[in-house]
Amino acid sequence: MTEVLEEKTTKLVNLTIDNLEITAPEGTLIVDAAKLAGIDIPVFCYHPKMEPVGMCRMCLVDVGMPMRDRDTGETIMEKGKPKIQFGRELQTGCTVSVSEGMVVVGYTEKVKKGRQDILEFLLSSHPLDCPICDKGGECPLQNLTIGYGSGESRFDLEEKQHLAKHVPLGDLIWLDRERCIQCARCTRFQDEIVDQPVIGFQNRGRKLQIVTFSEPGFDSYWSGNTSDICPVGALTTADFRFGARPWEMQASASVCNQCSVNCNITFNTRREAKSGGDLVIKRAMPRQNEEVNEVWLCDKGRFAYTSVKKDDRLTQPLIREGETLVETTWEKALDLVAEKAKEAGKEMVSLVGGRLSNEDYFNINQLTAHLGGKSLLNSEMAGGDLVSQVGLGTGSNIADMGQGDAILIVASDLEEEAPLFWLRVKQAAERGAEVIIANARETRADRFAKYKIRIAFGQETAVILSMAGAKEGIAVEFLADDAKVKAAAKVFSEANNAVIYYGSDGLGLSGSEELSKACAFLLSETKHTGRPNNGLVAVWNKANLQGAWDMGFRPSETLAADLKNAKFAYVVGNDPASKDILEKSLKDTDFVVVQDVRLSETAEIADVVLPAQVYTEREGTYTSAERRVQRFYPAVPAPEMTKPDYKITAKIAKRLDLSLEKIAASLVFLDLAEKVADYAELDYVRLAEVTEQWPIIGRDDLFYGGTSYQNTQGLGKQISPAIETETIKYEAFVPSVLSKKDEFLAVPVTTLYDRGSTMLSSEVLQPRIADPYVILNTADAEKLGVEAGVQISVKLNGKTANVTAKLDDSLAKGIVLVPRSMGIPISDPGSITIKAK
Amino acid sequence: MNALLEKHTKDIEDILKKYPEDQKRSAVMPLLYVAMRENGFVSKQDMYDIAEIIKVSATQVASIVGFYTLYHDKEGGKHRVQVCNDLPCALRGSGEYLEKLCENIGIKVGETTEDGLVSVESVMCLAGCDKAPMFQEQNPDGVFYHEDQTVESTLELIEQWRKQEAK
Ligand code: SF4
Ligand code: SF4
Ligand code: FES
Ligand code: FES
Repeated sequence: MTEVLEEKTTKLVNLTIDNLEITAPEGTLIVDAAKLAGIDIPVFCYHPKMEPVGMCRMCLVDVGMPMRDRDTGETIMEKGKPKIQFGRELQTGCTVSVSEGMVVVGYTEKVKKGRQDILEFLLSSHPLDCPICDKGGECPLQNLTIGYGSGESRFDLEEKQHLAKHVPLGDLIWLDRERCIQCARCTRFQDEIVDQPVIGFQNRGRKLQIVTFSEPGFDSYWSGNTSDICPVGALTTADFRFGARPWEMQASASVCNQCSVNCNITFNTRREAKSGGDLVIKRAMPRQNEEVNEVWLCDKGRFAYTSVKKDDRLTQPLIREGETLVETTWEKALDLVAEKAKEAGKEMVSLVGGRLSNEDYFNINQLTAHLGGKSLLNSEMAGGDLVSQVGLGTGSNIADMGQGDAILIVASDLEEEAPLFWLRVKQAAERGAEVIIANARETRADRFAKYKIRIAFGQETAVILSMAGAKEGIAVEFLADDAKVKAAAKVFSEANNAVIYYGSDGLGLSGSEELSKACAFLLSETKHTGRPNNGLVAVWNKANLQGAWDMGFRPSETLAADLKNAKFAYVVGNDPASKDILEKSLKDTDFVVVQDVRLSETAEIADVVLPAQVYTEREGTYTSAERRVQRFYPAVPAPEMTKPDYKITAKIAKRLDLSLEKIAASLVFLDLAEKVADYAELDYVRLAEVTEQWPIIGRDDLFYGGTSYQNTQGLGKQISPAIETETIKYEAFVPSVLSKKDEFLAVPVTTLYDRGSTMLSSEVLQPRIADPYVILNTADAEKLGVEAGVQISVKLNGKTANVTAKLDDSLAKGIVLVPRSMGIPISDPGSITIKAK
Repeated sequence: MNALLEKHTKDIEDILKKYPEDQKRSAVMPLLYVAMRENGFVSKQDMYDIAEIIKVSATQVASIVGFYTLYHDKEGGKHRVQVCNDLPCALRGSGEYLEKLCENIGIKVGETTEDGLVSVESVMCLAGCDKAPMFQEQNPDGVFYHEDQTVESTLELIEQWRKQEAK
């Protein structure tokens, strides 16, 4: 049982907890050792992911040690057993570590009395409004009160404190001040775990309260987690407040599709009158996967489900009649699609987005190949082919990285692009891993990076090549901090294990393609490939771009022309027409079929529109940026006429004499595993396997780990990069130069809270969206007479827009950051003009 | 811009100099005193300014203001009379003293006299238990202890402040 902890320490000690003889690694806290042995010691302030603080005293136990003879140092024996001496006072099990021969007792009257007293204190002014409390039914305080509380209160009800019960700490979290038991789990989480102490304690004693002074309140991407670990109903989330009782809900396993981390999620669902008797999702909770998201979620992932609305769903196939799209039957729609596809033959293209499942991609690619068309990916980031060659080695787990290891982040604002990766790398840094960051501006990852190489936009590839020892074509002045680059290169090459995370900060398609090559070269030069915790991670900006690459889709530099020249475009799960240039080319495409869940801009100009299903309504798998393949399950029923993408594709294929699996995603996966070598060893059963994880959470005792869900439906499987079985050679090359012709160069960057459809359609997340903005260097702004927060007019790719100006000291002069999906379309670095208003 | 830093550039720089480069956050306490010098309390803007100077979150600064009785986040009298009403002092009659004192100057605990001269607060142990009733006075010049007090002696003191003010 102790294997999980054993690996990390060497010495084991023997002790007894509640008469059970156990072995635990030395240094383990009593509460953890008990947990491993299956014994629950109640805790409030202790959380296995945080340092113990011993604040609440709920974990009291009686601790005895073997007595020793003072002269000889020998253990004194009594009736053949060591004589045990217990301390005079009870001790807190969350702050005392186990040692050889220790005897811990948690069931005596003395201990019970101690815990009862603590609980009585906690309840002396607690409102006990469980019947209307969101936590009721899964509340540690409620449960422990039933276990240890007295049947009645000795306190005068009239004298209970009356405090504010509906305090919005921010847009996403509400505080009930009466319920807070001052355990500091929430404030410690924000400080210790995510380094963002934007909530804190104010005042002392009875007056103590949680406050926030950030603008906007509780300004953090991580706030939802505090509600999971709050041992009472003091912190509740905006989506779920007064929404349902925990015992009325069912749980279904899923995977977040908001970024390429693919965090494990549990959707809680309930049938309710309010939603017309439908089964609906009431909330999303973290599902434990210690190799992916542990027990956490970022707020975007947690609240994203609120963006799916019944009303704006496509529920019927549509067919163009003149200017309008009219409803039709599946038969008619599919017949027409098949007929046109056949006519187009080789001149067809499939264009997919980054959030389909592997099964969908597989079938679409099979169909496209059958016709001889092109399988294209609507994405502005490249390198998936290299990730499949030199991605993380089998058995990688960033949680195993620490002392002696190195992690390089290049061209990525990691927290914005993939929040959980940021968290995992931060923790690796805290365990002693050397983090090297090569970015053109300051990001929150700089705070834990030991080596910070400030590059110019456009120099990402050059820096990586130079770290790999390449010289040719690398201008010295771009490596201004030569000594730093050298030092970082040395650390990287000498590290036991090394991983590179490359993102798309300031890069378009061609830029990221070059960068990925440089990264592969650096990894192979330094022999950091083909082993666990070594390799390349592409920080994709969509959930399953790696899966799309693995299934054979590629982005195209000439997408506009590809569409324009195509006789038939099969557009699945993406909205090219939202970009002017692609909209223009689509108008020249002879026949456009859109398969999607909403009437997108592209659907509006399509010839046939096919209604697909949202991932919460069906089964499938995603492949994360770490190439972990994971299953998601249906949580709610799909609208009647809709079908999963793989099935629609199979139905079209059938009309073209190609037989593709359509009955179930699991069967499509069998075909896929047969044809896609890297996936050969996988099937749905293997993907659903679970092994024991530490900390043990989500059992009866919600006080220990919080309300995150135990993983019972699969941890997924990481697939092996090709380099583990083949020899692949990488060469240095001359990087291209990003020329800056005009005064200002606009570069695309990613912000988590963008103005994409998830954010815009979610009422919960909406208040967190910023107005369209760009970020300027402070000196440039001064020269233009622009102050922070004012409106300016920008012109980019022939489009003019009014946006808010933000300032950043860490930016180089002449650079303007343009966030993607933030009102101004941008795919590549390019000239921009700025005017003060 | 950072108003606090602009107004007290020299003082703040002197304070910061005393702390090693990576531990500037420790300067939070003296900086709060600088902010309080002006109006006798730390405004919300001051908290943001201090947070920016020492690179911590404004919430952390606010937590410190909330923790110590020596810092105030609301406007009070020029002289803050902070009466200890913790157990030992209470046993020596500080409760009654406090009550009578307030009655005599016509305010409640936590309030300020109309002329803005005096506010009365009740605080925790000030380590002067053996000379209770006692209070700590905070004024723009610093912090002063007044021990072995009676309502009369304190009223006299207040009278003196009033006279000083009139000059
Ligand atoms: S709000 Fe919850 S987590 Fe935070 S201190 Fe209070 S009880 Fe603890
Ligand atoms: S980190 Fe990414 S995958 Fe995880 S919850 Fe957030 S958006 Fe979803
Ligand atoms: S003191 Fe141990 S859990 Fe709080
Ligand atoms: S109790 Fe009042 S000074 Fe100590």
